[in-house]
Amino acid sequence: MSALVVARLEWRRLLVRPLAWVLAAMTLAWLGWNFTLLLGSFLAGQIQRAALPDGPGFTDLVAVPLLGQLAQLAFLVVPLLTMSVLAGERRNGTLPLLFAAGVPASRIVLGKYLAILAWLLLWLLLTLSMPLALAHATHLDWGKLAAATLGLVLMLAALAALGVACSGFASHPAIAAAAALIVALALWSVNLGAQMAGINGGAINWLAMSTHVQPLLRGLVSSADVLWFVLLAALSLALATRRLATEMEHG
Amino acid sequence: MTTIIPATSAPVLELEHLDRHRAGRPAVQDLSLTLPRGQILGLLGVNGAGKSTTLSMIAGALRPDRGSIKLNGQDFLEQPELARTWIGWLPERAPLWTELTVAEHLDAHGRLRGLRGAALREACTSIIERLELRPLARRLAGVLSQGQRQRLGLACALLHKPALLVLDEPANALDPVQVAALRTLIRGQAAAGTAVILSTHLLAEVTAICDRVAILHEGRLRHDGAVRAGDHAALEKTFFEIAMNPRPARAA
Repeated sequence: MSALVVARLEWRRLLVRPLAWVLAAMTLAWLGWNFTLLLGSFLAGQIQRAALPDGPGFTDLVAVPLLGQLAQLAFLVVPLLTMSVLAGERRNGTLPLLFAAGVPASRIVLGKYLAILAWLLLWLLLTLSMPLALAHATHLDWGKLAAATLGLVLMLAALAALGVACSGFASHPAIAAAAALIVALALWSVNLGAQMAGINGGAINWLAMSTHVQPLLRGLVSSADVLWFVLLAALSLALATRRLATEMEHG
Repeated sequence: MTTIIPATSAPVLELEHLDRHRAGRPAVQDLSLTLPRGQILGLLGVNGAGKSTTLSMIAGALRPDRGSIKLNGQDFLEQPELARTWIGWLPERAPLWTELTVAEHLDAHGRLRGLRGAALREACTSIIERLELRPLARRLAGVLSQGQRQRLGLACALLHKPALLVLDEPANALDPVQVAALRTLIRGQAAAGTAVILSTHLLAEVTAICDRVAILHEGRLRHDGAVRAGDHAALEKTFFEIAMNPRPARAA
């Protein structure tokens, strides 16, 4: 129950901070503009594609690329959104207020994570509403769109947990944002060298986030990919909890 | 809502042999104290004497390295959730969430302390009236003056009617009228059965409202005794003897 109280408090703080609104407005405007461009390109190529029996449709050419762009933006948006959740509280001296209210470290972390996740899911939903608004006028591949959406949900959940963990360890929100961005980019491209050498398997490829996102964006749902994101999120939240508990213990 | 004070004959607060290191040096050493219901204990000491560390441990924001803390006879370190309903804490400089309004602060603190629905609304309304926060209710905490911040911090500490009130420099930045109101409020809380522990640099604060005074120096309890009303000179003499004397034998 106390996790929900913390989530409510964090959600309220998110809504009154200009940062969350500015990020939402700017990214949605950018995505809206890109949606228009993708749609224009889709409409322009409709006649050529009509000749192909199994050619790519609206989902492949508009909806999934739009989600791909959201995934790219998430690398910047999530660290900015999560940077203050714990580092900001620490800096303002308000973290002890939560400790003194008898809220365990795990629930503080979980509550803050849930609030951030709620914002990110709303962001995803608003982005999805763009292709969905045309669902009645075009043919959507619902299965592929659902898989891509699941991929985005998992990716946002993992990045948010990573951001919360970085905020838990940092003394300043800007450091937390930079750390979250660098760790996320490193996780995305850790297998770049291996791929350039033509290696497509092994632990290094398993470690990379791109290995697990791309199949989902193509419509392939695998429990191993889902598990990777769940593990990353769980590990990040566990680290943040441990850090917070240690802070309470040692000051 | 009634004041949450469990029916027990045990003191509200019992500290036994508390030790705590901070920044690699002992901040509190072998501190033992008890505080019964309705008593106001003043915690005096020079800067760095260990007052804020002691109060943070009592409030549940910091764990001691060693020793025990009992609240109404129950082990607080084993059950940190006791802090939620039994303790009200005003930390030094009253940290606040600057983006929330005064009313939202009270709502958030009430929820964190387990209040819901009508009880929460009633507690918020009551504390807003008691601390004259009505004109500030919709103002953001970030734009409050230091005195107003202090009043809001105090309101958050009193909101859930705790059995133990822990106040760190509560008169900081308050004007004389507000200080007088604060003293009346603290006395009223004590009269209702709340145990109060407050740290201050002001000896006059202690002689004006405290029943008892404890003096900390270099993290150790060096004096613990009753305050005789108006006997400011005696307290001043004791305080300066302790503050100026780096390593005397351990006192009472």
